[in-house]
Amino acid sequence: MILKSANGELITTEYVLPPDNRAAVSSKRSSMETPVIDITDLSKYYGKTRGIEHVNLEIGEGEIFGFIGPNGAGKSTTIRILMNLIFQTGGTARIMGMDVIKETKKIKKISGYIPSDAGLYSSMDALEFFRYCIRFYQVKNGDQRINELAQMFDVDLTRKVSDLSMGNRKKVSIIQSLLHNPKLLILDEPTTGLDPLMQSNFFELLRSENRKGMTIFFSSHILGEVQKLCKRVAIIKEGRIIQVEDIETLRKKQLKKVFIEFNGRVKKEDLIIPGIEGEIGGSDNIQSFIYSGDINMLVGFLSRYTIINLMIEEPSLEEIFMHYYK
Amino acid sequence: MNRNLFLMEIKRNTLSLTVWMIAITVLVSVTMAVYPVFLENQSKILGMMSLIPDELLQFKGISDFSDFLSVLGFYSVNNIIYMMVLGSIYAIVLSSGILLKEEYNKTAEYLLTRPLTRSEIFLSKLAVLFINVFLLNFVTALAGFICLELVRNTPFSTGAFLILSLYTLLLNILFGAVGLFMSTLVRRARPITTLSIGLVLILYFIFTLSKITEGISRIGYLSPFRYVKTNATSPDYSLDFWHLLYFIGISLLLIGLSYRLYIRKDIYT
Repeated sequence: MILKSANGELITTEYVLPPDNRAAVSSKRSSMETPVIDITDLSKYYGKTRGIEHVNLEIGEGEIFGFIGPNGAGKSTTIRILMNLIFQTGGTARIMGMDVIKETKKIKKISGYIPSDAGLYSSMDALEFFRYCIRFYQVKNGDQRINELAQMFDVDLTRKVSDLSMGNRKKVSIIQSLLHNPKLLILDEPTTGLDPLMQSNFFELLRSENRKGMTIFFSSHILGEVQKLCKRVAIIKEGRIIQVEDIETLRKKQLKKVFIEFNGRVKKEDLIIPGIEGEIGGSDNIQSFIYSGDINMLVGFLSRYTIINLMIEEPSLEEIFMHYYK
Repeated sequence: MNRNLFLMEIKRNTLSLTVWMIAITVLVSVTMAVYPVFLENQSKILGMMSLIPDELLQFKGISDFSDFLSVLGFYSVNNIIYMMVLGSIYAIVLSSGILLKEEYNKTAEYLLTRPLTRSEIFLSKLAVLFINVFLLNFVTALAGFICLELVRNTPFSTGAFLILSLYTLLLNILFGAVGLFMSTLVRRARPITTLSIGLVLILYFIFTLSKITEGISRIGYLSPFRYVKTNATSPDYSLDFWHLLYFIGISLLLIGLSYRLYIRKDIYT
C-alpha cells in the first residue's frame, strides 16, 4: 500500500493509521502520474469551529472514488474548497496539477459539479438554463447535447425550473454538470430526490462516462450507493479522513460480528479480549462487538462462561463503516 | 468581464429597471404637471406657505420662495425626493443583491463553478450595476428635462439642470457602492434589502434634520445627501470640486474594498 506522508512523500507500507490519526491515504497507482485530485494537509476552520483538519487524498485518473461520512463530517467542506466556493485555512488542493485557487478557471473548464442542494434561476425554463450554462464553455452543437441529456433524464425543457419537482430539479442539476463533457465530475450527495429507476439510469450513465475516461468523485452518506458505484472510498469522520480503502479490501478485512448470549449477567469490562474493535454493545446478558482477532482465542476466552448462544458472522459493509464512524 | 454573465444579468434586471423608470418618470411628470397650476395660484400658495414655519420649509429644501417659483427651483425642490432618494434606494437595492442574491437564492453553486474567476463575476455584475443606475438616471432626467421644457414660463439654465442631474447620478452611484460593500460583508446568505433601504432613509433623515437643527448641523456631514448642491437657481451654482472628489473617492474606495472582500469571500448557500 502506498501512503502519503504529511510532507507529501510517498511511502510503501502495510496499512497503518499514523499515531496522530492524520489521514493515511492509499493509492493503487504506483506509477504516480499527476493525480486528478491531490489534497495535501487541507484544513478549514469556520472561526474556531472545525470544518476539516489535515485531509490528505489522492484520486487517480479514471477512478470512481467514494467519499463517505455522516452529515457534518466535512464532505461538503472538502468539495467546496475544491470548487473554490470557500477558501482553505491551511494546506493545498490541486486538480489535474492545477491549484484550486489560482487556476480555478482552467479547472472549471474541465470539471463538472453537482451540488447537494442548489437553487435554480426561477425565471428561466430548463432550456434557457442549460443554454446559459453551456455558453460558458466552447461546446459545439450545444443544443444537441442538451436534447440528448434531457431525453436521457426525461426532463421537459419547456418547463420553468421553479415549477419542477425536487427530483426533476436534481435531474436539471445533473444535466448541467455533464453538458460540457467534463473530465472530472464532482458530486455532492447527487441522488437526493431521484427515484430508484432514475438513480439506476444515473449510475449507468456515470459508469459509461467513466469508461470513456471521466474521473468521478462521489460524496454521499449512503453507503449502498457508494458500494454500487465506487471502487475506492475514503471515510471522513469529524473533519479527518480515517480510512482510504478499496471497497473489496474493506469487505475482505477479517472483521467479524460477534453476538454472545451469556447465562447470567456479564459486565462489558470483563470482556478484555485482544481483537475487539471499538465499543461493546448490548446489555445485561447479551453482548455484541466487531472482532478482528483470532477466533480460537475468542472461543478459548469465552469458555470460562456459560454461554446460551454464540453467533459469529460477516459484518455488512454498512457495519464496517459504522465501526469506523464510532 | 464575462459577456454571457453580463447579458444574463442585464436581462434579469430589465423588468425591475423598467418598473423603477416608469414609477419615477410618472412621479416627476405628475409633479411637474402641477407647476402651471401652482403659478396661476402663486399668491394664494405663497400666502399659505408663509404660515408654515421656516424650519419645516427648510426640511423640504425650500430656503427662498423666489427659488421655488422658478421652474428649475420647483423641479429641484420637488424632485429631490424622487430622483435622489428613490434613485438611491434603487441603486442600493440593486447593488446589495446583485452578488448576494446568488448566495441566498442558492444559485452561487452554479455560477461559481463555471469557468469564471471571481474577478470576472464581480466586474460583470459591477458593469450591470453601473449601466442600470446610469440608465435610470438618464431616462428620469430626460423625462424631467422634457417636463421642464413643457411647463416652463421662463427659460432655465440647462447647465444647472445637467449639474443637478450629475449630482443625482453621483449620489446614486455612491449608494450603489455602499450596497455592494455591505453585501460583501454579509457572511451568511440572506437578503439585506430592508437594511439597505433603511440606510438611505436614515441618511436622508439625518441630512434634513441637520438642516433644521443648528445644534446637530455637523451630523449632516455624515450623510451623502449633504454633498449634493440643490440650489440650482443660484447664479453661482456649479459642480463643487471637493464634492465631486467626495463622491468619486468614496465610491471607488467602497468598490475597491468590495472587490478585495469578494474575491476571497467564502460563499455559503
